[in-house]
Amino acid sequence: MATLVEDPVSPTGRPKGEPRPLGGQRSDEVASVGGSHAPRAQSITWDVRSQRALFGILTAIAIVFLLGPTIIVLLTSLTATESLRFPPHGYSLRWYKALLDADQMQAAAWNSLIVAFWTTVVSVVLGTAGALGIAHAASRFARAADLLFMSPLILPALAFGFAALVYIHQLGFHPSIPLLIVGHVVVCVPFVLRTTIAALAQVDRALFDASASLGAGWWMTFRRVTLPLIGRGVGAGAFLAFMASFDNVPVSLFLADERTEVLPIHLWQQIDTNLDVRTAAISGVIIIVTIVLMVLAERFAGLSRQLSR
Amino acid sequence: MRDEWPLALPLAALFVAFFVAPFFVLLALSLRVDVQVHALSFAQYAKFFGDTFNLSILWSTVWLAIRATLVCLLFGYPIAWVCSRAPARFQSLLVFAVVLPILTSVVVRTFAWIVILGREGVMNDVLRALHIVDQPVPLLFTETGVITVLAQVQMPLMVLPLFATLSRIDPNLADASAALGAGAWRTFFRVTVPLSTPGLVAGCILVFSACATAFVTQTLIGGARLVYMPLHIYQQAVGANNWPFAAAISVVFTIAVMIVIYVLNRAGSTSRAYGDAR
Amino acid sequence: MGSNVNRRKFLVAAAGAGVGAMVPLRARAQSKTLVVATFPGTWNEAHRNLLAPYFKKRTGASVTQSIQLATEQLAKLEAAKGGRPPFDVAILDEPQVFDAAKQGLIDEYPEAKSPNFKDLFPAYQDKWGPKISLQVIGIGYNPNKIKTRPKSYDDLLNPAYKGRVGLTALNSQLGMAFLAEYNRIHGGNETNFDPAFTALRKLLPNVGAVAANLGAYATLWQQEQVDIAPYNFNFVQTLKAKGVPVEFVVPETGLVGWTTSLHLTKNAVEPDLAVQYIDSHLAADMQSEMEKPPYDIIPTNSKVPLSAAIMQTVAKTPADLSKIRGFEWTKINPQRTALIERFNREIKL
Repeated sequence: MATLVEDPVSPTGRPKGEPRPLGGQRSDEVASVGGSHAPRAQSITWDVRSQRALFGILTAIAIVFLLGPTIIVLLTSLTATESLRFPPHGYSLRWYKALLDADQMQAAAWNSLIVAFWTTVVSVVLGTAGALGIAHAASRFARAADLLFMSPLILPALAFGFAALVYIHQLGFHPSIPLLIVGHVVVCVPFVLRTTIAALAQVDRALFDASASLGAGWWMTFRRVTLPLIGRGVGAGAFLAFMASFDNVPVSLFLADERTEVLPIHLWQQIDTNLDVRTAAISGVIIIVTIVLMVLAERFAGLSRQLSR
Repeated sequence: MRDEWPLALPLAALFVAFFVAPFFVLLALSLRVDVQVHALSFAQYAKFFGDTFNLSILWSTVWLAIRATLVCLLFGYPIAWVCSRAPARFQSLLVFAVVLPILTSVVVRTFAWIVILGREGVMNDVLRALHIVDQPVPLLFTETGVITVLAQVQMPLMVLPLFATLSRIDPNLADASAALGAGAWRTFFRVTVPLSTPGLVAGCILVFSACATAFVTQTLIGGARLVYMPLHIYQQAVGANNWPFAAAISVVFTIAVMIVIYVLNRAGSTSRAYGDAR
Repeated sequence: MGSNVNRRKFLVAAAGAGVGAMVPLRARAQSKTLVVATFPGTWNEAHRNLLAPYFKKRTGASVTQSIQLATEQLAKLEAAKGGRPPFDVAILDEPQVFDAAKQGLIDEYPEAKSPNFKDLFPAYQDKWGPKISLQVIGIGYNPNKIKTRPKSYDDLLNPAYKGRVGLTALNSQLGMAFLAEYNRIHGGNETNFDPAFTALRKLLPNVGAVAANLGAYATLWQQEQVDIAPYNFNFVQTLKAKGVPVEFVVPETGLVGWTTSLHLTKNAVEPDLAVQYIDSHLAADMQSEMEKPPYDIIPTNSKVPLSAAIMQTVAKTPADLSKIRGFEWTKINPQRTALIERFNREIKL
């Protein structure tokens, strides 16, 4: 059972990718990834076999189902011809080269990047503060606030996007990048909240008391104790918020107009109006960048762990 | 530590100003006959509910989302289950595989399916090679196509909460069940599934909501003949410039989704009474 | 401290990667940008590949395209009325020009600032905006899949084509023109569209897909989802140039056509650039480029001779061009919203 003796801020002695359930909240929880449930020694009956077989097959189909389209897009983007066929008739990088001339696509990508960056920054600041506020607050207020902050995830985002547009118009404004960022923050901050709250739940509150009793002020405790402990959770949430903003369609559909074009809307327009193979090439770029960022997020923030809390 | 709640105030202020307020403004707009005329009236709602065209769109959207959720459940549960029992290293890889689709742009993923579902696409090639059909089957612009794509695009939302919940189930319980003589399947349905209800409900809620409101997938795969609520809202808001009516549709849509979520939640909490390892 | 540094490193790395990837490509001088509307399909390709570079050479400004149908442009301009329009140049079909002028969404075209304007045939020199082309519709079909050359729109009803016929939604001009023509063939006129819808109901079992616009239509052809459909002349030519098996047929009932024009929107952000953009489209050298495959855009400049493809299929002389049948759009316009709604109900599965 972990105790106060362990130094929570030591970078060593902590196995990579393993959260330390400090405070020992669940004594029965195995301290490995998510709790490995290798079945104890029991006779492998037909029963168990059939279960494993069926689930194995369904899982295999599901994995193919999940990853197949991504791989197909990547391969299709390497086609040498002008048509979008799989398997492609010949391979070439010409469409990736064509992206270098795609001025408007680059401009849209740049807009998306800027919006996603600022959305992430604001979401992390407000979201972390929000998580701290409600994680330790009185139950009723916390539950209500939690529900409110999470609701953009389950209420129709399209309805919110349109409502935001109507709202802006009533106030006399027009769609612009700052307002687009605010709209994105509303739908992206739940990701930061979720992972941060989950990370906070793992932290033994006694640590804060200890820190206070040793003379640290609130900010010092936050900087030296809280932040390092929840850092990976916040990092994972930031990553999710960034991707969610970069990829957002329902809010951008209403709050981004022709003069502030963002990439997903541009791509959707391209797909809907002129099946250009360059769309496949930019899709390939997006996929590769996503994979790279995911690997980074896994390396630095233990993404898979944070998502499985 | 109980005094930390003021930290949540900035976020709460943002939400009140930019999430709650717009919905009230939307509601107010839906109660107008015309953008100029400020008199309160239920005309837009009467228009919506009085026309079977609108009601059929509402129903098709809900039914579409339900079916897509069921497909996600069928394939998502096994993945989550396998994931929770896999050795550590394999687990990260599986989670990676599950999460990658949802992090890739939804437009990119939907676009991939256009290539796959076409008459000369991969799916038809495979079906013909396996001699399941002789002629290419129309998959694009059909509801089957839309459900398939929705299921793939939203499946990670089902897998992750399920995985989280399944990982927390005390392995002793399954062993106890086996020790008492229950077979693997009985243990699964009588012990594992009920215990995984929180994750199950969370997954279903997230997937249902996402599928109902999946504008890009519905329009790119469904085409102009399959109209669902998101496209209806968009057509009225942007195409016809009929903001009051679009507002009414949005309100009806939001309430419909909230009702289904409430039902799912209640269904979940009644079975949660059976025991929770948490 | 460890994870703090790690997290910071990760964020910096990600941001750096993002910025690094973008910087070389953005190192161009910060020039002006003109936001214009363009049609899906052949049009946006011609404008992107030919007109934008020509315009850039002339003014140094770059172009941001917004691909929208004429009806969508009107809706967007109407929504933004009184403030800044979402784009400075609108491209409209004949029917929409009347509405746009009436609703005060476009400015009168400043002919004095446009040197190429006077080179157009007089019929195309409109005070609200010059006509840049004529679009004509007929039947498009896949000669590999359909062996007998279709002769009229009623051939679409052939049961052998079940599930192979394509249509566009009614907010696209192709859809509207086809419906109007189908209406006329079956005995209706500009004020009575009932024959069209009765005939449409008979056609529906054969319809494989209804595309939202002409670009999506092109996709359907490329993916061989449709084999026969009402179609624009120059769109068929563009697809042919891309290697898609498709041929254009003039139906026995004759070609139907309408003019397409460019307009300066009211309160445009860059009105001078907008006029220069439109003027570039009128230039003789630009129009002869656009006339060539794969765009085959019918020219309106009197100094540009008709291409062989156009002469063979559409009209032998410019005089013949002006004789191509159209419709009284002013009579159809007021019914447009109702027609669109009725059409959407009919086609809904």
